[in-house]
Amino acid sequence: MAETTYIDAIRRALGEEMDRDASVFLMGQDIAAFGGPFRASRGLFEKHGRLRVINTPLMESGAVGAALGAALVGKRPVLEMQFADFVSCGFNQIVNNVAKTYYRWETPVPMVIRLPFGGGSGAGPFHSQSPEAWFAHTPGLCVVAPSTPRDALGMLKAAIRDPNPVIFLEHRFLYRREKEELPAGDLLTPLGRANIVREGTDVTILSWSWTLHESLAAAAELAREGVSVEVIDLRTLTPLDEDTIFTSVRKTSKVLIVHEATVTAGFGAELAARIADQCFEWLDGPVRRVAYADRPSPYNKKLEQSLLPGRERITAALRKLARY
Amino acid sequence: MVVSTHSKPPPPPTAVLADTDPRVLRRAHFFMRLSRAWDSRFEAMARVGRIGRWYSAVGNECTTVGTALALGANDSLSTVHRDLGAVLTTYLDPTRLAPALFEDGDQTAWDVLRPPPQALLDTLANQVFGRRGGFTRGVDRSFHYGLIKPEWGIRHVGMISHLGAMIPVAAGLALANVQDGTDRAVLGFIGEGATSQGDFHEALNLAGVMKLPLILVVENNRYAFSTPLSEQYACEKLSDRAPGYGIAGETVDGLDFDAVHAAMNRAIERARTGYGATLLECMLPRMRGHAEGDGSYEMIPAAEREEYLKQDPLVRFEASLLARGHADQQRVERVTATARDIIEDAVERALLTEEPSLAEATRPVFAPGEVATAFARQSTEVTGG
Ligand SMILES: Cc1ncc(C[n+]2csc(CCOP(=O)(O)OP(=O)(O)O)c2C)c(N)n1
Ligand SMILES: [Mg+2]
Repeated sequence: MAETTYIDAIRRALGEEMDRDASVFLMGQDIAAFGGPFRASRGLFEKHGRLRVINTPLMESGAVGAALGAALVGKRPVLEMQFADFVSCGFNQIVNNVAKTYYRWETPVPMVIRLPFGGGSGAGPFHSQSPEAWFAHTPGLCVVAPSTPRDALGMLKAAIRDPNPVIFLEHRFLYRREKEELPAGDLLTPLGRANIVREGTDVTILSWSWTLHESLAAAAELAREGVSVEVIDLRTLTPLDEDTIFTSVRKTSKVLIVHEATVTAGFGAELAARIADQCFEWLDGPVRRVAYADRPSPYNKKLEQSLLPGRERITAALRKLARY
Repeated sequence: MVVSTHSKPPPPPTAVLADTDPRVLRRAHFFMRLSRAWDSRFEAMARVGRIGRWYSAVGNECTTVGTALALGANDSLSTVHRDLGAVLTTYLDPTRLAPALFEDGDQTAWDVLRPPPQALLDTLANQVFGRRGGFTRGVDRSFHYGLIKPEWGIRHVGMISHLGAMIPVAAGLALANVQDGTDRAVLGFIGEGATSQGDFHEALNLAGVMKLPLILVVENNRYAFSTPLSEQYACEKLSDRAPGYGIAGETVDGLDFDAVHAAMNRAIERARTGYGATLLECMLPRMRGHAEGDGSYEMIPAAEREEYLKQDPLVRFEASLLARGHADQQRVERVTATARDIIEDAVERALLTEEPSLAEATRPVFAPGEVATAFARQSTEVTGG
């Protein structure tokens, strides 16, 4: 069986859901005949036409607002931000309009906003950010960040079907590097459920997206040194699967949180606070974080690499934590 | 009138003059009076501190009612803070609310779809007071809600506080109509101050590119809070921006019912027949301050204020009804009194209703599904309660 890359999985999810449900449509910049800069929608314009694969002008706020309008009267828009960084131009619409609608007047807003995000490719301060915490702070948004093609497929399909706004973070570095064999059929991954990717007994790692893969590499290294690391892929950040996290922490008593976003007020801070609150009696060491320094992402690749929370830094942090 | 140059020529403007149809005039008069009666009641309550804040729509009635009257069932409406007239016109069957004022044949096919008007008016009053019986049951203020009921022919999306943010949403409602292949149109409102927002530009540009059936009415009352036009924009008329978006633009006297209604009918005909969007600027008098008692009214030079108070659209409309023989003085008084009584009753009833249950504060932020279920599983202890 041919392997499916992460970006192919995204395209498959979009295609399958458009076939399944005529109310699903795509909006974004350069997504129609061109297929988007990452070709996520390649072939879908030809199949579904200009009213279901809509090229928008160069705008974000207006596009989010228009998607909201369509969603209110029964459509299921899937909006692509060309790069996650540009979602800041649509921030007001997302946090004030989209996120608050259901609470305010109980009309569902089925909408997915796809955010190709993350660093590692020397793209500089404005094409490398990890904006999950900007949205996790706002009630009413489901924020997800799948790390594998299987979950990218299953979670995008679930997100499109869910009656709520979903911020869907796709790491650009994974698009063509992650591949796996995927069976045919209607593959769904539940939203709001973490995944224990590697079982262990000494330390728990909580991570998602690209750093999840780095964490797995570090866990394999520690295994050679006799330390058993449990690695949890959060997959969904909000709403958080606390059961899976707390159960693991109560078992291992040590936690390392790993994310690519900058450290201060990153989502790791929320995880650390909840663990301190709910697992205090079980902890045998400090809740530690490996994350990006509080800096923009520099352009030069060597500079960027020096800040990215990769496997070496994770390995070093695990060793320290294991010694506690 | 300016029309897109890269489109087919627009259909010839049809002369839809209101005074050709007395049914339209009866409806217009009633809803303008109903809107004014509501404002008078709430202004009075604001003056004595019974409500915290009131944004009066006095002066906007001819524009809000004159445009909304052109809508049909399942056209969409997007309103901001001075659009009570459009909300009432869209929601209520006047022939059931005030049967004595209407004649056989006044009830339209859409009226028949509409729900019992008294109940809807009560919900609206409860909404404005933040009570249990309002559309949001206490979680959001006055006109910050929506009501989408295709079975009633009503598709109304209210505002959020961030002005300008609803213009792209109105464009999205129009986009859905295009996708569905219907001829339904969207009427949106915005104050002239909020036309300085980026969302105004993004939405009208999209509407131009996609030929969306959107009519955006600018209620140009010459002030935004305290900011006068000269500090708001530098073009001569806001409708001058329309050709920049490749859409139709018009500026009309927002006190002239015939002009407003006819311009709206032209715009809606363009929307229904695939000619796209219209920016319709209505010039209004600033008859009140931004919010009652906030000091902004006093920022308007006194002579200018005097001028605006003389331009009351209701006085002008009623004078034209009398002059053209559509009503006599007795009828004008009857409509005014009936509207006042209807509002008085609705307000009195709303004042007696209960506060919302405290459980409303923590009601779900997610619609039912696996996300909502996961959210409900999260611990609530972490907030300290
Ligand atoms: C984005 C945003 N900025 C500021 C405000 C504060 N504000 C509320 S109403 C208002 C003036 C609005 O003027 P205009 O659009 O002309 O409408 P009018 O009140 O005159 O009808 C301002 C500045 C706001 N509501 N939204
Ligand atoms: Mg104004």
